[in-house]
Amino acid sequence: MNCKDCSNKLDSYLDRELSNTEMLELQLHLEGCPDCADSYEFQASVKRLVKVCCEQDKAPDAFREKLRQILT
Amino acid sequence: MAESPARTAFAEEALTHLDTLYRGALRLTRDPDSAQDLVQEAYLRALRYQHSYQQGTNMKAWLFAIMRNLFWDRFKGSRKDDVSLDDVGEFVLYDKLKDEGARPEADVLDKLAASEVVAAVEKLPPLHREVVLLVDVEGFSYKDAAETLGVPIGTVMSRLHRARQQLQKSLYDYAVESGIVRGNGAPEEPKE
Ligand SMILES: [Zn+2]
Repeated sequence: MNCKDCSNKLDSYLDRELSNTEMLELQLHLEGCPDCADSYEFQASVKRLVKVCCEQDKAPDAFREKLRQILT
Repeated sequence: MAESPARTAFAEEALTHLDTLYRGALRLTRDPDSAQDLVQEAYLRALRYQHSYQQGTNMKAWLFAIMRNLFWDRFKGSRKDDVSLDDVGEFVLYDKLKDEGARPEADVLDKLAASEVVAAVEKLPPLHREVVLLVDVEGFSYKDAAETLGVPIGTVMSRLHRARQQLQKSLYDYAVESGIVRGNGAPEEPKE
């Protein structure tokens, strides 16, 4: 695997969507290529950041209670 | 009004996914009141169509699909104008920061305010926004996201890829505007 293949598959690797064989190939490349490994770490950080920031919003308790009244 | 035990059990199970639905609705409508309206209507519809839910399948995905379909029904007037994504080309924030000498690149991320990250998500056109919500925020597989959105997996992947680039462009613009990085990308306060 070269850096271009790695970059093309990085999204799928990040999202755990590759086959086991492909995961392994990519993992091997990352272990031997600091540039790609850095880039991967960064993309993973952005993904985590988006999750953490968006997850802070929860349904308000009063709304949850209202729905429970309506639905059950 | 006494509800049947089966309906009550179904409603209770559906309500365990409320945070996911509310967050999704909030990001799609960008307004708490509209989000509550949308979610309430989605739950009422879900109960009405309870029979069409197959036990053992992904209830969260099923509920999310109902909610986002309602969203698109309501907002289809604006759909045409709203779906286009700015052409940012192949924008890769990491490469940009690296080229401009901001190292380590991830330090920039630590300085971004949560509200700015949310704003960058909300700036995405809804078709791209919903893919990010499903895959990045709620952890859906590409397959579940594809079924929820009624599109092929390849479409999920291409929308996600473009959405991430657009999102990173927005984060970069914000980082420049707020002085986290200089226009040329160098960190405002060099770290020793
Ligand atoms: Zn490489």
